[in-house]
Amino acid sequence: MSESSLILKKYMDLANVFNASVTVDGDTIHILAKPEYLPKIADKLFNEFKCVHRTCVATDERPLNGFFSLTHLFTDDSHGFYISLKTYLDGENPKAPSIISVVPAADWCEMEARDLVGVEFEGRESYRLVLPPGWPADAHPLRKDFQYDKRPNILPVGEKVSTNEEASTIPVGPYHPALHEPEYFELYVEGERIVDVKYRGFHVHRGIEKLGESRMTYQQVNFLAERICGICGFEHSTCYALAVEKAAKLDVPERAQYIRSIILEIERLHSHLLWLGVAFHLVGYDAGFMHMWRIREKIMYLSEYLTGSRKTYGINLVGGVRKDINEEKKSKVLETLSTLEKEFKEIVEVAVSVPQVKRRLTGTGVLPKEDAVKLAVEGPVARASGIDRDARRDLPYAAYKHVSFKVPVYTEGDNLARALVRIDEVFESISMIRQLLDQIPKGPIRLEEFEIPPGRIGVQVVEAPRGGDVHFVITGEGKPYRWRVRAPTYNNIPALRVMLRDQPMADAPLTIASIDPCFSCTDRVVVIGKDGVIKKLSLTGGVML
Amino acid sequence: MSEKLKPAKLLVIASKAGRVTKRYPYDEPLLSPDFRGKITIDENLCIGCGACVNACPPNALQLMKDKDTVVLRYFVGRCIFCWRCVDVCPVGAIKGLREFELATNDISDLYVHVVHKKAKCEKCEGEGATQRMLYYVVQKSPIVEEYLNECPDCRRKSFIDSVVKRRTGGVSE
Repeated sequence: MSESSLILKKYMDLANVFNASVTVDGDTIHILAKPEYLPKIADKLFNEFKCVHRTCVATDERPLNGFFSLTHLFTDDSHGFYISLKTYLDGENPKAPSIISVVPAADWCEMEARDLVGVEFEGRESYRLVLPPGWPADAHPLRKDFQYDKRPNILPVGEKVSTNEEASTIPVGPYHPALHEPEYFELYVEGERIVDVKYRGFHVHRGIEKLGESRMTYQQVNFLAERICGICGFEHSTCYALAVEKAAKLDVPERAQYIRSIILEIERLHSHLLWLGVAFHLVGYDAGFMHMWRIREKIMYLSEYLTGSRKTYGINLVGGVRKDINEEKKSKVLETLSTLEKEFKEIVEVAVSVPQVKRRLTGTGVLPKEDAVKLAVEGPVARASGIDRDARRDLPYAAYKHVSFKVPVYTEGDNLARALVRIDEVFESISMIRQLLDQIPKGPIRLEEFEIPPGRIGVQVVEAPRGGDVHFVITGEGKPYRWRVRAPTYNNIPALRVMLRDQPMADAPLTIASIDPCFSCTDRVVVIGKDGVIKKLSLTGGVML
Repeated sequence: MSEKLKPAKLLVIASKAGRVTKRYPYDEPLLSPDFRGKITIDENLCIGCGACVNACPPNALQLMKDKDTVVLRYFVGRCIFCWRCVDVCPVGAIKGLREFELATNDISDLYVHVVHKKAKCEKCEGEGATQRMLYYVVQKSPIVEEYLNECPDCRRKSFIDSVVKRRTGGVSE
């Protein structure tokens, strides 16, 4: 018996114990179980088989079969399998058992399912995560009978800003001091020491999933997916395209997969250079910031040269890519990469050896490995805490199985480790682009004609600069029936509570930035009167991390 | 000692790099040859088929119909410069430009309208596709001339009528 059939047998045995049915479709193992066995199976998968909990998806399948469904998505990274643990819930009154007591990483996605689809979770405390507090409790926008352009009557309610009376409250937000992205953290401090953290997010939830399911076609969603994130947009559109291609079993030309991988690595380069610049700026080393961004500009020009735009490249389609890389472009890329590698090496060596920078980065914002595993953090945050995981190597997609590269892993878990992971990855990316350009095969760059049958399921993980993006697609008529997106920051924010606690106040901006967050949202203010008293805007409780 | 002096090496790097900021309005902008800017629609080529409208992800291109005309409207404010319309246009009426300075203080500058005449049905005064599209279809694949000037409804009706005629031998009851 081969190794992979042994692994499959392991999952079949697990399913048999709980009377669940198993189907294997390519690299995805679909387990369909009764709701009451969900926590037990999830416990086995997460704690015994060491699978990673990526996210969960609630779907309104009432138009198809009269039920709601809940799917927990796991990945078995050591063997390269996707595991989808699905259960059907009552169509009238959907109730599911919560799995957060065994899988703490599922906390946010369960609450998102409760808000958007209206699934109630038993055995846990419920709070509102995604929907604005003014929305009525019975409005669930991802149900199929909810029109995408409907706006419910909004009740004017406030939210209590501070919940902690003993410690002083310091708001960080509504904009991050350096990242210029909306977020709101509330730091509770005693003297200079942070004792607890509260995060409130999702204030500008854009309803992208609903839009993709309601009024866009398969090809149009690529461009919408690219706009999920301003930094790692191409990862999202690739992930969506790969998920649909996997669902429809399309055989995409090799050349298209190579071009996708090359552009993905170029995006990683620009993202890591940006983050390093921001980190230097945050510790007050602005010269390093300026020079890092000076050499980043070369990458931005390169991506415009290859795709037609500095960001939002717009070259992905289901079935291939829109722009080819010819010989002239190839030599230009190689030339830019060699100057970039030289200049980056010079600057990073100088910048990291500045004693002030070194001191600020070392030993701050520590995330221990056991917390990292429990919260299923992603990307450089996981790799800096000693978790050896990279979707490019473990769950190969696009053209990554044709290149060799190292996955940098550090065990310290502090801000320096996270910076070093990113520095190492820059060199790996440069070498990967060289290998890919060297091996790129000839042929067409996209499929001309294909069909996407309805009712198929595709799950895909793509390693973005900040961690794994997860896209889950159920195909429908001309457009996705259900499209679920999870960005890596979604799993990384809960880890900030661990990283910020018992740390000096002054390191908080750097530590928050060290996960390279992509807050898609937040707006909140603290109004301070003339007498210095904080007026509290009251809303029903925020999220305690 | 050398470890302590390492940060000072930045001075060497900085003097080597020199000034990199572009004096943009006076110098040439930093644009690659493949840059995607706004699009232009050739009014003489466009046939009003709506292929670009179907492909446009942000609805920057829209078809607006009234009794006699079909108007193809392009609004730069919504455009994401993906050039999908350039890919799908069957007659090559849409071209991409490298223009990117689109700010204006007159909002009408942001709109482009291409007005098409609708083909009138000979029989019922109903509406069909644009006139240009009919010519285009005839050019591409000659179809039965007698149905050409009819709207889709009348075309269907006369087809059914001709089948019925053939069956009953032209004699109705």
